[in-house]
Amino acid sequence: MAGSEAKELVHTAAVDYAPLIVLLPMLAFPFILFFGKVFNGKDFWKNRLKEGGLIALPVMAGSLCFALWLVSDFIGGAGLADSEGWTWFTSAVWESGTNKSTALTLGFGIYVDHITVMLLFIASFLCLLINLFAVGYMNTDPINDNRNHRFYAEFVLFCSGMLGMVLADSFLWLFIFWELMGLCSYLLIGFYYERPSAAYAAKKAFLTTRVGDVFLMVGLAMLWTLFNPYAGAGQGGLDYAVVFDDANIKEVAKSSTGTLAWALGLMFIGAVGKSAQFPLHVWLPDAMEGPTPVSALIHAATMVNAGLYLVARMFPFFGSDYLHGELTDLAFIIAAIGGTTAVMAASIAFVQHDLKKVLAYSTMSQLAYIFTGLGAALYLANTLDWHHDDKAHGIVIVAFGAALFHLFNHAMAKGMLFMASGAVIHEVHHAHHHLHHHDDHHDDHHEPAPEELLMLANYLQETGQSVFGFFNAIDLDQSGEVDTYEFQRALKESDIADLPPWEMEPLMKALDMDGNGRINVPELEVSLGRIHLASLAGKDDHHDDHHDDHHDEFDAQSMDNMGGLASKMPLTATAMLVGSLSIMGFPLIGGFWSKEGIIANTWRVAFDDPRFIYPAMCVLLGAAMTGFYMSRMWLKTFAGPPKTEVAEHVHPTNTWIKIPLFVLTFFSLGGIVLASMGFTHWAPDETYKPFFNGKKSFIEGLVYELGHAFANEDTRFFILTYIAIFLAALVGPGLALSLYGGKLNEGEKLMPWFAPVVAVNAAIKGRYHWDNTSFAQSGFSTALSNRLYFDHYYDMAMLKIVAAFSFKAAEADSGVIDGTIKTIERTSQQLSTKLRALTTGSARDYILMAAVGTLALFSMIWGLVA
Amino acid sequence: MIDPAWVSGLSALLFVIGLAGAFTRKNAIIVLMCIELMLNAANMQFAAAAVHHGDTTGWVYTIFAIAIAASEVAIGLAIFLAMYGQHESITLDDVNVLKN
Repeated sequence: MAGSEAKELVHTAAVDYAPLIVLLPMLAFPFILFFGKVFNGKDFWKNRLKEGGLIALPVMAGSLCFALWLVSDFIGGAGLADSEGWTWFTSAVWESGTNKSTALTLGFGIYVDHITVMLLFIASFLCLLINLFAVGYMNTDPINDNRNHRFYAEFVLFCSGMLGMVLADSFLWLFIFWELMGLCSYLLIGFYYERPSAAYAAKKAFLTTRVGDVFLMVGLAMLWTLFNPYAGAGQGGLDYAVVFDDANIKEVAKSSTGTLAWALGLMFIGAVGKSAQFPLHVWLPDAMEGPTPVSALIHAATMVNAGLYLVARMFPFFGSDYLHGELTDLAFIIAAIGGTTAVMAASIAFVQHDLKKVLAYSTMSQLAYIFTGLGAALYLANTLDWHHDDKAHGIVIVAFGAALFHLFNHAMAKGMLFMASGAVIHEVHHAHHHLHHHDDHHDDHHEPAPEELLMLANYLQETGQSVFGFFNAIDLDQSGEVDTYEFQRALKESDIADLPPWEMEPLMKALDMDGNGRINVPELEVSLGRIHLASLAGKDDHHDDHHDDHHDEFDAQSMDNMGGLASKMPLTATAMLVGSLSIMGFPLIGGFWSKEGIIANTWRVAFDDPRFIYPAMCVLLGAAMTGFYMSRMWLKTFAGPPKTEVAEHVHPTNTWIKIPLFVLTFFSLGGIVLASMGFTHWAPDETYKPFFNGKKSFIEGLVYELGHAFANEDTRFFILTYIAIFLAALVGPGLALSLYGGKLNEGEKLMPWFAPVVAVNAAIKGRYHWDNTSFAQSGFSTALSNRLYFDHYYDMAMLKIVAAFSFKAAEADSGVIDGTIKTIERTSQQLSTKLRALTTGSARDYILMAAVGTLALFSMIWGLVA
Repeated sequence: MIDPAWVSGLSALLFVIGLAGAFTRKNAIIVLMCIELMLNAANMQFAAAAVHHGDTTGWVYTIFAIAIAASEVAIGLAIFLAMYGQHESITLDDVNVLKN
């Protein structure tokens, strides 16, 4: 097969216009922000332009058009492109010792290859659909009124960050746009900044990714020192043209492969932070505090894909002949981190009740799959002689293609799932609003406060402690929120109750108003105050005083408040079903093609290198777990009888929201079409034609893919395929079907394609229903509910290390630095008091003295010179 | 053309007038004006020397000195405003807080 020396760079008109893909949304950002401020609340701005939503929409559509032009040029045979770019600035650096100066050039150009095209399409396409969705979601909720322009402005800036990162032709610009996304994620997650939890989540996302970014920056600096000596005139040391050049890699490999491996490893840590992998995964579930379009944007179109993109970008290093076998350790680390996260995130997703949280953990888990797939592909590229051996070449591009194709499938399915979940939450919220504000109805689910809380309220009253003081005393990690573990210890220490962890749930629920599993000061204060008042006034009239509080107590995101929505929101339920099946890897639907590829290729490596058995087992186990939690989510939301009165009054959603769901359903269903067209062979190899990969027709491609998946000639992979299908499509969903959901209420109409699902569900549940309370009460389940205590320990570690360091630093500041300055100040003050005794205070005397002094100095110098 | 020596002489005269005014006058604003006079005498001397030596460096210094003088006046006037706020007077004899 071809060597990578034959680099044909083609320059087409599409490449010339490609910077507009980034510039359009970037220029729309100040535009929307400015006019949003000026016309805020004006009728035409609010209703005609949807507070900027209909400015962002054509802008994103324009970006998509230019992107599609570029993609079609690429697929149509133009192949790789690297634009000349324009020079930002050139600066000369003087090197001491040699007395020479070298020119440093910084410029921006467009680099187009297989990875760029894939990510470019995903990002621009999903950004447009999410924009459509946002118009239907954001502009119909009164809570967002008069501040949607902020959302749309930050939204377009976010999109331009992602598009710029994908198109950039150097690691330096990649990093700049990467940070732009970091900023926008902070702004958007904290969109409802008046909520402490949202502000906290935004801060957490920003800081956690920052940890990774520091490593990324160090990695890039190392890469720059390695490659800069080989940069030609007008090239930056981090340009892809320099670092991916085989001749340069050869030179670097000769001198320092170890350093290159370290540089890539540090860059990988940046990717771990951005893509929320273990151990920097803690920010992602909290990022659900942002509005749902933001969740869709972060989890499907942009942010988390950035890390994967960075790792995929490293392919030329792994694929280079000159680094053959040198980078296998790094490939293993990538795969192992992926495998660990896949299983960990999936197990936490088991116990989540919040619809969006399940999806958040699902994202984490699926991204981990892609990391594992990339790790395996990079290992294969690094160890096989794929430049010269046709068979090895096929293996490498299929492995790499599987990971990238899963990125594509996951982005489409997850974008849709988030938008569908947003539609559900939106409508449940509206139904609740409607129900409780139009008829004077008392809610039935207001349970009396548990005994222990009454005791706690009285205990605080008797001991005269303020709620705030008590809270601070029990908030061990000073996070501003109390979790189950801390609360349990507090109750034990104040001699109120010594409860096992599983009995804490009702207590936590009674206090936890926003349903995030933790309690903050206002929640504790309001709830305890109310409980105390209720206990004083007697039990009977505790309904009267808080008619408006329904809003806080009802959690529109909790799946415990849903159920039976399949008949109420058929389109959304269909979209959710297809999306879930795609994520699960259900045979023939979307994600199946890529997930099978990832599992097969990880095992292919595992047969070769025993270390890879760990990630390989993880992805296989993860397949079953994915099947379980995705089915559980769908069944709890859409099947079974409605769990609350609110769920009975849900209506279908509006057209703005329906369009993207409709479009993406077909993209997820159409996985087989894309696979037949050769999307599973998507690899950064310049001689390789992405479409049809040499197959003459669609049918030939289809037959090849089906044969490859279901009747593999290699016995090991043949068996593996059916094990994976068995786990992902039967074991996982089967368990969920026996536990959750059930028949809908009598007389509810169902779409024909739901009927078999619900029928199977009802049959299995009726027959095999088993009691899972023992698991739900186990310590493991509690640990999962508390996210395996990661946040807890991170907070504790922060308190121990950072706070201790801060205290020491504060001491040093006030003692040493301030102390020195204060001593100088005091001394000079004392000195000046003494000196003042000598002066008259009259300005004219000073002028005279100055004149005499000048004259004296002048004559002295005169005397010296003359 | 005027002989630079004449300009130099005028500059010396201006300087002495400024110096005398700064020593004798009580009003702070007049003192400031006298200081400006001395500064401009120096500028004039620069210009005269530049013409004499046929070198532009003196002109450049003059431009700089004018710019600095402008900011100096702004600060000076601000000080007088503050002084008036404190002492209700801008007579220099009334202001001698540095004494003792």
